[in-house]
Amino acid sequence: MFVRWALLLVLGLVSWATAKSSTGDSVLVILEPNLDKDNFSIFFDGLREKGYDLTFRSPKDTHPPVLEHEHAQFSHVILFAPETKIFASDITPQSLVTLLSKNTNLLIALSPKQTPLTSLAPEFSLVLPPPGTPLISHFPERDTPATVIPVNVSSSSPILTQGLAPVWFSGIPFSLQNNPLLVPILNAADKGGEGLWAGSQLGLVTGFHALGGPRVTWVGGVDIFSDEYIQKEVAKGVESGNEQFIADVAAWTFQESLALRIDSVSHRRLNETEPRETYTTNDQLVFSTHISKYNPETAAWEPYSGIDDLQLEFTMLDPHIRTSLPPVPGTPGEYSVTFRAPDRHGVFKFVINHKRKGWTHLQSSTVVPVVPPRHDEYPRFLSAAWPYYVGAISTSLGFFLFSALWLAGDDRESKKTKGSKTE
Amino acid sequence: MGPKAPAKQPQQVASQSIPATPASQNALDSLWKAYNDTTSSRLKTVDAFLVFLMLSGVIQFLYCVLVTNFPFNAFLAGFASTVGQFVLTASLRSQVNPANRAEFKEVSPERAFADFAMGSIVLHFFVFNFLG
Repeated sequence: MFVRWALLLVLGLVSWATAKSSTGDSVLVILEPNLDKDNFSIFFDGLREKGYDLTFRSPKDTHPPVLEHEHAQFSHVILFAPETKIFASDITPQSLVTLLSKNTNLLIALSPKQTPLTSLAPEFSLVLPPPGTPLISHFPERDTPATVIPVNVSSSSPILTQGLAPVWFSGIPFSLQNNPLLVPILNAADKGGEGLWAGSQLGLVTGFHALGGPRVTWVGGVDIFSDEYIQKEVAKGVESGNEQFIADVAAWTFQESLALRIDSVSHRRLNETEPRETYTTNDQLVFSTHISKYNPETAAWEPYSGIDDLQLEFTMLDPHIRTSLPPVPGTPGEYSVTFRAPDRHGVFKFVINHKRKGWTHLQSSTVVPVVPPRHDEYPRFLSAAWPYYVGAISTSLGFFLFSALWLAGDDRESKKTKGSKTE
Repeated sequence: MGPKAPAKQPQQVASQSIPATPASQNALDSLWKAYNDTTSSRLKTVDAFLVFLMLSGVIQFLYCVLVTNFPFNAFLAGFASTVGQFVLTASLRSQVNPANRAEFKEVSPERAFADFAMGSIVLHFFVFNFLG
């Protein structure tokens, strides 16, 4: 125990982080008094190793406050207060939602008891079971009580590393309603639960991607983070996947992983280099954007070309053009497309609206006017008009020829030809 | 023209076998001969120009109606060119024709030609501007 603390002190002194969040390092951990901090030491030490500053307080303390003068004091808040019925005045469902609007990420643990947080969960489209009904499963056969359940981790979520061993879970499930911002992370096993609350439709750990960027993760029970569950074996000689699982969940919640952003957006005509203030109908337009992904190891935003289904809309009330925005092969992070502006004039927008579960929402809108051609921009010398060109030119030529013949052929007029010899 | 017509009739019937009735063919022929004999070479030049302009206009009009009227401004310019030039040339012919001397006392042939030339220049300027 002491060796571990000494080792961590050394690591802390070195102080270069192996993984940092893209939105900040300060974390407030609201830990209720009947939970022992040492019981979560592996989780918290893991966070410290990554470079986060943890500040601990209990739910009833007023200092440090999460929100002071409408400013968020911390970048991330961990709420391990699943059984606290009364919080300090700065923690209310309303203040937690305000924190979200200040781009603060939240990690919230629930329990079968009813607390102020159970009234906040439905706001995130989670339906909680009645109080006092934890998740129960009698399968698989094991020597732990029925409320302590090993849950298989599905391999389809981009948030979790592949091939995780089953994780130990104890707590409540919740039912997910139809909200596109919900990101399921861990669902109950097929044979979990009884009666109405049964099966893999139940969420145990669910993320929520709020508009504007911050992420909230709702966890059905705080024990999944505990050292005891991390060290418990799921099968003979097989460690549980809890440690990696909670590290992945924390990384996603604190906006380390799957964090994207649009660096720049530009538009121009096909054979030009600078953007114009207005474009003409039927112009060939080139739209390009640079997108980066946050790399937690280097703590930097790096160009990312891995989005293969990015889409661009050229919209005036309705999208007139909807086309894919493929990555440019030579340049990392650049996505570009060339298309013809529609035959309508008006004020259009280049719209990128890319929402995928777990990934940051990419949204960008650039307004650009499209005007009809000026009087000298229409095509000239059309091949369909050659009879008319020939007719007009032949008339002029005929006139000159006729004048020449007239002036040359008349003997009476020969003296006065010089004056009237027009061209 | 009158006294000549009966004398020509037997020649026409004997020498040619034609689908047109002898009378109309005779009339066209005599018209052509009379025209040939009575008009001066100067007026014939004018008439040739007029015929050319009419043909050009007809061709452009048929193209517009039968094939396409795109681009319409080019059709208007080309057609107006021939029609306008026709009008100016016809005016020149009537002013210069010695048979009309009584009507155009104060307009000398030189003045008529000068007017014709000025009008034509202005017409062609507008036509090429509108031709696109």
